[in-house]
Amino acid sequence: MKELNRRDFIKSTTATTASVVTIASGISLTTFAAEPPKESAPVTNEKRWGMLIDVNKLTESNIEDMVNACQEENGWGNEVHSKADQKPSWIKKVKVKDKATGKIDTLPMMCQHCEQPPCVDVCPTNASMKREDGIVLVDRHLCIGCRYCMMACPYGSRSFVHEDLNNQKTHMPRGKGTVEACTLCVHRVDKGGVPACAEAVDSEGVIFGDLYDANSKINQTLKKIQSTQIRADLNLNTGVRYSGI
Amino acid sequence: MNIRYQQIQGRSLGFYALIATLGVIILAALGGVYYMEHNGHHVTGMSNRIVWGMPHVFALFLIVAASGALNVASISSVFNKKMYKPLSRLSGLVALALLAGGLMVLVLDLGRPDRLIVAMTEYNFKSIFAWNIILYNGFFAVVIVYLWMMFERRMNKFSSKAGLVAFTWRLILTTGTGSIFGFLVARQAYDAVIMAPMFIIMSFAFGLAFFVLVLMASYKWTDRILGDMIVSRLSNLLGIFVAAVMYFVAVYHLGNLYLSENAGVENFMLFDGGVYTQLFWYGQIILGGLIPMALIYHPATKGNRSMLGLASVLIIIGGIVQLYIIIIGGQAYPMEMFPGKEILEGYGNVAPYTPSLPEILLGVGGIAVAIIAIAFAVKLLPFLPECLADRQAMNIADIWIEGLKEEFSHDLADTHSKECK
Amino acid sequence: MKRLLTIFLAAMSIGISAQIHADHHIPNLGEKATEFKDEDKEAHKRPNMSHADSLIMQRKMHPELLLHKRDRTLRQGVRGGRASLEKCVDCHTSVDKDGEHIPVNAPEQFCSTCHQKVGTSIDCFSCHRTTPAEEM
Repeated sequence: MKELNRRDFIKSTTATTASVVTIASGISLTTFAAEPPKESAPVTNEKRWGMLIDVNKLTESNIEDMVNACQEENGWGNEVHSKADQKPSWIKKVKVKDKATGKIDTLPMMCQHCEQPPCVDVCPTNASMKREDGIVLVDRHLCIGCRYCMMACPYGSRSFVHEDLNNQKTHMPRGKGTVEACTLCVHRVDKGGVPACAEAVDSEGVIFGDLYDANSKINQTLKKIQSTQIRADLNLNTGVRYSGI
Repeated sequence: MNIRYQQIQGRSLGFYALIATLGVIILAALGGVYYMEHNGHHVTGMSNRIVWGMPHVFALFLIVAASGALNVASISSVFNKKMYKPLSRLSGLVALALLAGGLMVLVLDLGRPDRLIVAMTEYNFKSIFAWNIILYNGFFAVVIVYLWMMFERRMNKFSSKAGLVAFTWRLILTTGTGSIFGFLVARQAYDAVIMAPMFIIMSFAFGLAFFVLVLMASYKWTDRILGDMIVSRLSNLLGIFVAAVMYFVAVYHLGNLYLSENAGVENFMLFDGGVYTQLFWYGQIILGGLIPMALIYHPATKGNRSMLGLASVLIIIGGIVQLYIIIIGGQAYPMEMFPGKEILEGYGNVAPYTPSLPEILLGVGGIAVAIIAIAFAVKLLPFLPECLADRQAMNIADIWIEGLKEEFSHDLADTHSKECK
Repeated sequence: MKRLLTIFLAAMSIGISAQIHADHHIPNLGEKATEFKDEDKEAHKRPNMSHADSLIMQRKMHPELLLHKRDRTLRQGVRGGRASLEKCVDCHTSVDKDGEHIPVNAPEQFCSTCHQKVGTSIDCFSCHRTTPAEEM
């Protein structure tokens, strides 16, 4: 019997292992061929979703209704362990007073869904992303929880989940250690609906629609009335516009 | 002239006591990390307004100091000042140890540290943070190669080229670290490109202060000779770097004050920001800048090693305070979202922040990791020259001149400047 | 040495064939899935494959199916399709004696019966809902 030395042993086992693995993986790849059921098409940049908020047409209780609707729809607001500053606030009520005239305005603030989002620029893993149709999202599968996007957001609209969560809404998974923000209720929008906050206010206070569609209410209203972006000087071209402030 | 390097014995009671103390601190830090990660960040003082807290202050301090600690090696390799050559190995080691400590703190504070692999494989090249991850990892590789070339006799002739690569790399790295803040348009305190060169100058000061402490401690505690010539040169350098930092801080603040759009944050930091104002004037300027410069240059304390050690410690404390003000003060001050309007509700307050114990433990644990790494490394490998007495130093620097011999002759009786045996 | 080589190769081939032909008896399929099976319906049946092979394929490929689909849904807005974590949870959760659904990733539940054995952790349910959505 020929004596197998160490070198030959390693060579032959490596060769055999490599060939077995190649053949085995080849088998599994070639046998997988399936007929998937119908899926919707990917979104394109033919549409750009936006929202117009008319501050003069919204009362303070309207805005509180908007906040409650968002909480109800997306499942946030039940965090028991987090302190006040740590609780998520996808949308918040902000009251401002003009220094010159003394006029007081109350407005809802959420992620502004910028066209040039600073949060997307700074995210190290591409978790913070902008969809083709303009909705800015956090891909929580990739989020490592570094919170740099929260530093970069000019509107302070993002929240970090500070505690373990359960009983999430099926359409809105969220978990400890990742960053989250207003999604413009993308799960509703993709099925032809409107965000929960827009639906909660049945006046003309909040108009949601496709900014690029010349026939949409939002497009026509924006052409007629004066509107502004918050922190317009940053040139971010936000999707959320305000009139009346 | 050949420099003889030798490992330290590392068997004394003092050495074991040091390792044990650092070990306890590191265990406490890891315990704090487990507590934070298991329960979620609600147990910390960080919030949605102050998203980066104490751990980031320490982590960024360590990372900035790491790139500066490599300065001494660069001065010898790149700028050809031969007197610093014996210190190059230790300089590379301190740089690596500080960076390791800083990165450990940064990674352990992530919301999802289990996704570190994601951070190292999915890159957004528009993000300065992603570039920093590449730069930090690359720094490890570059300095390890540089150290190897210094250790391996056959590679010594390449060490100056490696030193140049390391020097360039750490300049880009520190610029990148400063740009983490400098590129953020959102916050008034950060939107300033001067932060990048300011961080480079800060790295010079903090890194050298740390290096001087490590150098003096390792020679004193192992009864090796460290001559005054090297110490006085490092001391002078340290003084210059501290002065340079103060200059950049002055330019940064004066620049901001001039722009009325940033008047709010400047008033906050310099005058009516409560704890941040006190930290700025008493902590950063006086404790971290003016007093160390006085200790280094004043005739009463000049040349005194304990005073130099004290100055270095104060510079380090001042550096941590400076980063605290930049990172936390910059976040605490509200963003100017509605110019011309006063925000009554929902936003606009100066965000409160109280560091929690796990956060502080994690930060201090990072420093402990750096020191314990240095302690182990000098025991395992010959990083420290056996003797750095003045005559040795002058020989290495080829500046043995009769006149200088006269100048230093009075020191030959002093224990610090004995000749090597 | 040759004997060692033979033993090593034999162990490898047994391992591989065990993977392919093992009887994957899953003790806790979940309430709806068990009903389905008891009614002799063929879940996860793929065209051009037998039911048994389809199940093997499902076991092997579910991570790839879900990972690929999650990117298409989240990043491109593609909705519908075969793979859906919500649908998995819907069929494969069990019900306790009070009629409450048990979280699908709890020990001894559907996911853990395999994942505990192979020692792979599941990351999905730190964020995703672990029980079927309540009917309104």
